Amino acid sequence: MSDLSNLVLSIADNKQMLGLRYAEWATRAPSLEADIAAAAMGLDDLGHSRVLYGCLDPLGDDPRGADRESDPASLSALPYFDEPWNSWGQFVAANAVLDTAFTVMIEACVSGNVEVLQHRLRKMLNEERYHFMHGRSWLRSGIDAEPLNEAWRQAIEWFGPPDGDTAKLHGDGMLSMGPSELRARLEEQLETRAPEVVGDWKRWDPKRRRTSPGAIDERTFGMLRGLEEKRFAPASKQA
Amino acid sequence: MTAMDEGVKYRRVTGEAVEYEVFARKTRGEPLHQVGSVVAPDDDLAAAYARATYDEERWIEMAIVRKDHFIELWRPGE
Repeated sequence: MSDLSNLVLSIADNKQMLGLRYAEWATRAPSLEADIAAAAMGLDDLGHSRVLYGCLDPLGDDPRGADRESDPASLSALPYFDEPWNSWGQFVAANAVLDTAFTVMIEACVSGNVEVLQHRLRKMLNEERYHFMHGRSWLRSGIDAEPLNEAWRQAIEWFGPPDGDTAKLHGDGMLSMGPSELRARLEEQLETRAPEVVGDWKRWDPKRRRTSPGAIDERTFGMLRGLEEKRFAPASKQA
Repeated sequence: MTAMDEGVKYRRVTGEAVEYEVFARKTRGEPLHQVGSVVAPDDDLAAAYARATYDEERWIEMAIVRKDHFIELWRPGE
């Protein structure tokens, strides 16, 4: 499996989960406008994940295995998305920090030397501009430190170790930024310094780009596979 | 002072929010026209809300303006 395909799959899985978690807040946000924004951003990110999955074949090395149908831990999403969010602060931290971290990585892909990524991912950057404005504005209104620090920690871990795959991809020109540049760019975007994070790189899983085990909840995994729909099917059509 | 004089303000979870009018057009030949409004505490959030709420159609241009930045010449009934 190539490092680049694995990274693109990780962006896709994270955007899919981000979209789902956004959508869960489409009737729970603090205002009607924020409800609509949550729904729209959810749709955007689910769409982005489809585009990213579609890049795996042209990259020539699709890392998706059969275990993705049965094992939630086979997905490459961050721990932040393992469980539904139970506070608006978690939503805002994900919106401001993690969504922007994924965008910064997409910027690095678009400015890199891989043609399929240069062309297919560019449009996402326009749409993500509004996610960023939404997240930054809500962040300025103030949220609890806990979800914010957790989002920063996971974003920096997701960028990878100083001498890991993203550093190598940067060296090869496939990404225009390596881990330290990605972090600096995220700090620049959010106009703040990242909290001090000491990456536990010995425990870092390069495939899932996270240090902690775990996986998304069973109900969400069932929904991703279409199994939840069976609950609503007429009894006669159920298997 | 009426609400219109100072802009329509709403109590928000954190801070005050004001009303923004949303304008858009589909072709270069037509003028911008009002397509709706949003309520937000700042320009960034208002832009994000306007895009999320009114982006269903294929606009070539969209703009927002704070309602209290309007310079009124006259009002209904005047």
